[in-house]
Amino acid sequence: MITRISQIVPDKIRYKNLCNYKNQFKSVIKICDPEFFQIASVPLVKIFALKLLIIEDEQGLRESIEDYFNGDGNICETAANFQTAVAKVSLYRYDCILLDITLPGGSGMAVLDTLKQNNYPDGVLIISAKNSLDDRLKGLNLGADDYLVKPFHLSELKARVSAIIRRKTFNGSNQLVFNEISIDLLAKEVKVGQLSVKLTRKEYALLLYFIANKGKVVSKNAIAEHLWGDGMDMADNFDFIYSHIKNIRKKLVEAGSRDYIQAAYGMGYKFS
Amino acid sequence: MKLRARYNYVNLVTTIVVLLFTGIVYYQAISWILTNQKDKDLKVEENEIFDYVNLNHHLPQTFESNDQQITFTSAPPGSVKREFINTMYFRKWDEDRQRRHHPRGMGKYEIGRALVSSVAVGDQFYKILIVESRVETEDLIRLIFTITIGVILLLLVVLLITNRFILNRLWQPFYNIMKELRLFRLADNRDIPKVDTNIDEFSELNAAVTDMAGRAKLDYTDLKIFTENASHELLTPIAVINSKLDSLIQTENFSERQSKLLTDLYDAVSRLNRLNQSLLLLAKIENRLLHEQAKINLKGLIEEKLNQFEEIFQEKNIKVKAILTDKEIHVNPYLAEVLLNNLVNNAIRHNYKNGEIVIGLTNEELVVQNTGDEPELNSKKIFTRFHKSSRSEGSGLGLTISKQICESHSFSLEYTFTGIYHTFTVKFSI
Repeated sequence: MITRISQIVPDKIRYKNLCNYKNQFKSVIKICDPEFFQIASVPLVKIFALKLLIIEDEQGLRESIEDYFNGDGNICETAANFQTAVAKVSLYRYDCILLDITLPGGSGMAVLDTLKQNNYPDGVLIISAKNSLDDRLKGLNLGADDYLVKPFHLSELKARVSAIIRRKTFNGSNQLVFNEISIDLLAKEVKVGQLSVKLTRKEYALLLYFIANKGKVVSKNAIAEHLWGDGMDMADNFDFIYSHIKNIRKKLVEAGSRDYIQAAYGMGYKFS
Repeated sequence: MKLRARYNYVNLVTTIVVLLFTGIVYYQAISWILTNQKDKDLKVEENEIFDYVNLNHHLPQTFESNDQQITFTSAPPGSVKREFINTMYFRKWDEDRQRRHHPRGMGKYEIGRALVSSVAVGDQFYKILIVESRVETEDLIRLIFTITIGVILLLLVVLLITNRFILNRLWQPFYNIMKELRLFRLADNRDIPKVDTNIDEFSELNAAVTDMAGRAKLDYTDLKIFTENASHELLTPIAVINSKLDSLIQTENFSERQSKLLTDLYDAVSRLNRLNQSLLLLAKIENRLLHEQAKINLKGLIEEKLNQFEEIFQEKNIKVKAILTDKEIHVNPYLAEVLLNNLVNNAIRHNYKNGEIVIGLTNEELVVQNTGDEPELNSKKIFTRFHKSSRSEGSGLGLTISKQICESHSFSLEYTFTGIYHTFTVKFSI
């Protein structure tokens, strides 16, 4: 039934206008099973197998990203230069576009401009080597959804992309569900079944990060950077991550969840 | 020694030496000419005596005038050698003059020039002594000497005045250039202005200085751009390594040894990345590329930071004491965060388990204190690039960056050690 719904929503409506699409979507839901809304939120993310465009001139990086996002039935397209990028962006719509700013043949900002002038609703995540406030503001003002500075961890990228898609698709008012764990993204509440779990701010962020990167091994470095930012300069000591993970595990398991977090060879953790 | 003083000194010495020398030469020349003149007179007198003796065959009557005395004395033949001599002679006063001025005494000794000669009258041989006064000559010489001294004194005065009023003005362009040089900073955008002068040396100096400053700035800019570009270029390969590592750990089944290697690789890349980011940031601060400023509530920011680091404090069981008053400052928000990060990070990293961190914020200053194993640090060296203690895991750039951030906002950053606490103090400019 769920798959069918995604098929009823025609591409035009899906992408032409986000508001329209939302209304359309609601009307579709109305005619369905009244229980649908409760169970369908996360599978909906799943069934819209992500369609991504990776605009990045550095082959190594492009391939890594493609590799990381492939799987889960996602479709990744790539563009290595400005011309290809503009061509693809004008022809096809994507859930999220990963956009490098410095491209051979032109600036990524121009690609962003093209998108916005045509009112394309694609999510845009700028990945840039430039860590200047000016560039960041310029990018966000032009309509990018997020800005990630190179170098980054792929898990961080995935978490950001997931967040963008969540915001775009459900306008931010959504429940994120992973099996028995459901998360109210607005109230920042986590439930296992009907049981509410009290998580600290960082534990909550970590849980979201894990769910965004489910099935992937997430390195301790990536976790530390995600939770404490670049400013945290403690490469020699990741003990505090361990105690964090231990706490989340304990809280979730006590509330009746399965133990999803596994240590992966001492390098990181895997949520699956 | 000032150039002016040195110049005066040399000038004065040479002037005096030259003047004294000319004085002496002048004196010699004039006294030679005058003596010659006297000698001629004496010769004429001698000839007159000879003529008289030839004609009359007896000695002329001796007479005495004011300036001249002639005496004859008999002498054995051949005992007298003809010569000119300087001598003293006794000059009698004029009769009326004596009565008026010199009631006692008959006259006085005066210097004179004399010719000793001889004459034979018949078979009798006489020695002739003709003396003429030399007083006028001496007077003349004295006058010349006085004039010379006068000229020297006059020159001294003139030199003083020249130095005082003219040299100072003459050297003004030089002092202007010096002032500009003192104000010159490589990091500034300010150029050395053209100094207004029509003296070739100074305009050349000005041109050379301006040129040099321009070249130095260009080199400095090149260097800075190089650092920034190099760091920038490094970002991409680091990003690739990072992403490849992330991809690599997705492939399953690692042995313990492999995962240890991977962990080490991760740490190394992460360190490399931080180091590179630090260099980039440093270049940006020095290039003044981060000029956006905003009003920041420092208290709020510090509380946020402490919150962020909470788990780490817990892990190391560090007691944090924060005494904060509200303080708003105009800073670049990003740099303010970096500064706080660095200071707090250091306070944690160099702390021991069960240690203590004290953060104080007042209207004037921000103080971050921490306990630590290390003895007092060298407050001069710690702010230099890549200076770090052997135990430190940091990049060695944190304090350099902090210092640069403070300086770019005209705050001061200082280190003190109280015996227990390593203390870093940021003093805000008020």
